[in-house]
Amino acid sequence: MGLEILVCIKQVPHPDHFSEIRLDVGSGRIIREGIPAIINPLDRNALEEGLRVKERFSGRVTVISMGPPQAQKALEEALAMGADRSILLCDMAFAGADTLATADALFYAIRKLGKFDLIYCGNETVDSGTAQVGPQLAELLGIPQVSGVQEVTFGDEKTLEVKRVLEHGYMKVRLKLPALLCVTRDINRPRLPTVQSIMEVAQKEMIIWKAKDIGAPPESVGLKGSPTCAAGVYEYKTGRRREIIQGSTEEKVHRTVARLKELGAI
Amino acid sequence: MGMLLVLEAENCECLSENRLQNKLTEVKMDLNLSREHELLRDMVKEFANSELAPRALELDNKGEFFWEQVKRSGQLGLIGVINSKEYGGMAMGHLARMILIEEISRVYPPMGFFHQTGNLLMYAIETFGNDQQKKKYLPALCKGDKVSAFALTEASGGSDPSNMQTEATLKGDSYVVNGRKSWITGVDPADVVGFVAKTGDKFSAFIVEKGTPGFEVTRREETIGLRSLPVNEFALTNCRLPKGNLIGEEGRGLVCALTTIATIGRTGAAGVALGIARGCYEIALKFAKERVLYGKPIAALQAIQFMLADMNVEIEAAKWLCYSTAWQLDQGKTSRDLAVDIARCKLYAVDVANRCAYKAVDIMGAYGLSPEYRVIGLLRDALELGVAAGSQEIMKVTIGATITR
Amino acid sequence: MSNSGEIWVIGEQRRGRLEEVSLELLSKGTALSQRMGVTLSSVLLGDEVEEIARELVFHGAEKVYLLEDARLRYYQSEAYARLLAEVIKEHEPQIILIGATEIGKELAPRVAAKLRTGLTAHCIDLYVGEVDGAPHLIHVVPGWGGNLVMHIICPRRRPQVVTVKPGVLPKAVRDENKKGKIIKVKPDVKDEDFRRIETVEVVEEPPKGKLLESADVVVCGGWGMNALGDFSRVQELAGILGGVVAGTRPAMDKGWVDEARMIGQSGKTVKPGLFVSLGASGAMHYTTGFMGSKVVLAVDQNPQAPIFQVADVGIVGDLREVIPCLIEELKKDRMPKKF
Repeated sequence: MGLEILVCIKQVPHPDHFSEIRLDVGSGRIIREGIPAIINPLDRNALEEGLRVKERFSGRVTVISMGPPQAQKALEEALAMGADRSILLCDMAFAGADTLATADALFYAIRKLGKFDLIYCGNETVDSGTAQVGPQLAELLGIPQVSGVQEVTFGDEKTLEVKRVLEHGYMKVRLKLPALLCVTRDINRPRLPTVQSIMEVAQKEMIIWKAKDIGAPPESVGLKGSPTCAAGVYEYKTGRRREIIQGSTEEKVHRTVARLKELGAI
Repeated sequence: MGMLLVLEAENCECLSENRLQNKLTEVKMDLNLSREHELLRDMVKEFANSELAPRALELDNKGEFFWEQVKRSGQLGLIGVINSKEYGGMAMGHLARMILIEEISRVYPPMGFFHQTGNLLMYAIETFGNDQQKKKYLPALCKGDKVSAFALTEASGGSDPSNMQTEATLKGDSYVVNGRKSWITGVDPADVVGFVAKTGDKFSAFIVEKGTPGFEVTRREETIGLRSLPVNEFALTNCRLPKGNLIGEEGRGLVCALTTIATIGRTGAAGVALGIARGCYEIALKFAKERVLYGKPIAALQAIQFMLADMNVEIEAAKWLCYSTAWQLDQGKTSRDLAVDIARCKLYAVDVANRCAYKAVDIMGAYGLSPEYRVIGLLRDALELGVAAGSQEIMKVTIGATITR
Repeated sequence: MSNSGEIWVIGEQRRGRLEEVSLELLSKGTALSQRMGVTLSSVLLGDEVEEIARELVFHGAEKVYLLEDARLRYYQSEAYARLLAEVIKEHEPQIILIGATEIGKELAPRVAAKLRTGLTAHCIDLYVGEVDGAPHLIHVVPGWGGNLVMHIICPRRRPQVVTVKPGVLPKAVRDENKKGKIIKVKPDVKDEDFRRIETVEVVEEPPKGKLLESADVVVCGGWGMNALGDFSRVQELAGILGGVVAGTRPAMDKGWVDEARMIGQSGKTVKPGLFVSLGASGAMHYTTGFMGSKVVLAVDQNPQAPIFQVADVGIVGDLREVIPCLIEELKKDRMPKKF
């Protein structure tokens, strides 16, 4: 059958190092330098799903990411897991994008790639966590989409049934390909690369595209293409009492219980 | 005339600048690991953290081994990482092997040590064996379907191999072997074992398969460290082995064994040591940042900082000593050329592992001595490395004898 | 900023039950509409949900655009997105508030992309403020590194769309005397809307046991519980206080709590009378999850941990000593727990 499968991934700061992240107070951007980066965890689930579909039905898995040059490392990890080729959208013109401008960049790249059957995305990233790019990309491509996907069942070759999470239950949705699915961690357990697949990375196609390569109009991508923008970083006044209780452990605990009673908390 | 002189002078200046520039551009030393090595490290780290770490403490305390994880390691391609592709290996090289052993040992040294001992016979067969032997044994060993061990040591002393008593006598088409080997890691579960025996006044290397009449694994030795990897004695009693079980030529057994032990055993032990050292350092550092005494983390105290600084320096030094040795092996140099490098990296890395483990136990106080935490186990494991693939003193003998030649 | 456009709250109903977040959005919507002097309206899609439309009016909606059709009984991805976008284009509201429920998180971006407009997710506050001298609706979202928040604006495109998680804003007050217009809009539902995607089954069960969101006391364990090896002490403390157990993302990754009990930006938001944080350093992504709590008690080993900035009472100490001691002290004490 040969399905063309696309997987969108993002390189994010390693969650173990989140406490080291600083915001640039001027621009509101995250300072990522020096912080170890990984493939967004849910994107690995998305890639795993794509690889399984390819193994089942034959086809090709292409991973795409919009990011700075160091995002190439995340794409290489994806290739090591088994993706067939990678595309990095890297250009100053893409910088400062909000989710719509990001979805636009991906849209133009995918349009350049041509026909596709399925797109997999992770439901959300661990850094910004908006869960918006997947649905927005699907809208721009004019294809059906489901978020929160926990299970996918293939009917005939053009139809899928997916189970998506709800707060206290689930929803089953039937879709026709081409479609975009945003997956959750329940859906599978991502594989580890093997030494074999690592050695095969060097043979794989690694493409880098700039805005003009994909014909992305400057007003659609990057900061220019972002309807929302940052307007500063501020300290949030929480109005908390911030009382640190002193003394030995016993004293601290005793005084704490007393204070909580005074505050009516217990 | 004047002009000519000026021109020449200018030419001279240009020339000397060029010469300088050429010199600078000739300095080639890229200390960056290749993309494949980085990907490998990341993968093994993930493997170790998600599949080895959860049971490491329990298995170590019980003295049980992770046989299912051996299979898994084979699936990932980690066991046959230096064997050739023709026989099921990955041909990725010694530096790759060192990195993967390091990352595994950071979390679970017995498994790292398994890669050390389990690779010995695989290398011996690949380097000295014939095509038939390679086809027969290597694919299953690379996959982790079968495991192996390699035996040189006897009661007469591992450091004194030429005094060994185990003897193989050619009778017709087969050898009859009699003797006992002791302190052999991994021989109990091994499906196939390599060993060296006296043949006349020389030595030869042989393969014996589990189940061969006359081959019996006997008592298990209690070890204080690497407790999940059984160490046993085994006996050969009128054990008949066909000529086809000879590895390489008769009489070349010591060359085979010593080359194997140097190239694979010592580098492997060094890798385990690197992993233990780093594991101890990371645990101690994390603990120091979290443990609060006198109102602040103990990491703020100079005494603790000094200990951590020492660990930091030594680990970095050991790392480069080991990596550069492995890299040289990958460039095609032999263990003979690299006798000093190999001995040096094993010697130093193991000493560093011991020092780091001791400091980590110290930093963690009572928690460091408790079997509920990893560090005391890592110290015990580091102690075992002293006698692995040749004792620390034998390393010094190798270095001292070579440099004073 | 646009002058007369309305503020809209997209109401969410599931099987005839109104989602609480819609009422929370109406309280903020009311405040904004009063501040800006514009009308607050609501939109509701479904089938036979006129009674819910009335609830929206009782909670502050001056108008409710009601789109009813048997085929819209359950959330349908393409139909809902298309119909919403059309009614928005027709009436041109300037601000749209959507609840960040599982459905809202999918619907909001699709609608925003259809309208090619801005969408800000997971706002923790909204207010009219000034940026470079001009009035803007400020979308406040959690920042990084302790107490910082980012202000986002949507300067050029309209409508500006924002989502807010359930439990962040207070609920609007119900008043049956409130008057409002329910405008029935006949939705132009097409077969084409269901050709490529169709919801075939919705299964929802009311949760068993105490709901995290309505608990009086929540005891939340973080990565620091590693020192104690497991979550048993968290459970013990919760038991004594009559509270519910929760965890941070690292605690969930470790398997100590499941995703339904994770507190934080991509998890649950809670507002209990007492929130106890054990061994969590206090990254903003976590602390936004309990900002609305009445009283916060934090315990951590690190005196520099940001959690102490957002706590009322803090204990710096070794968890291995403090927690057992705290449990003993509370056991000795009687345990009145109602607020």
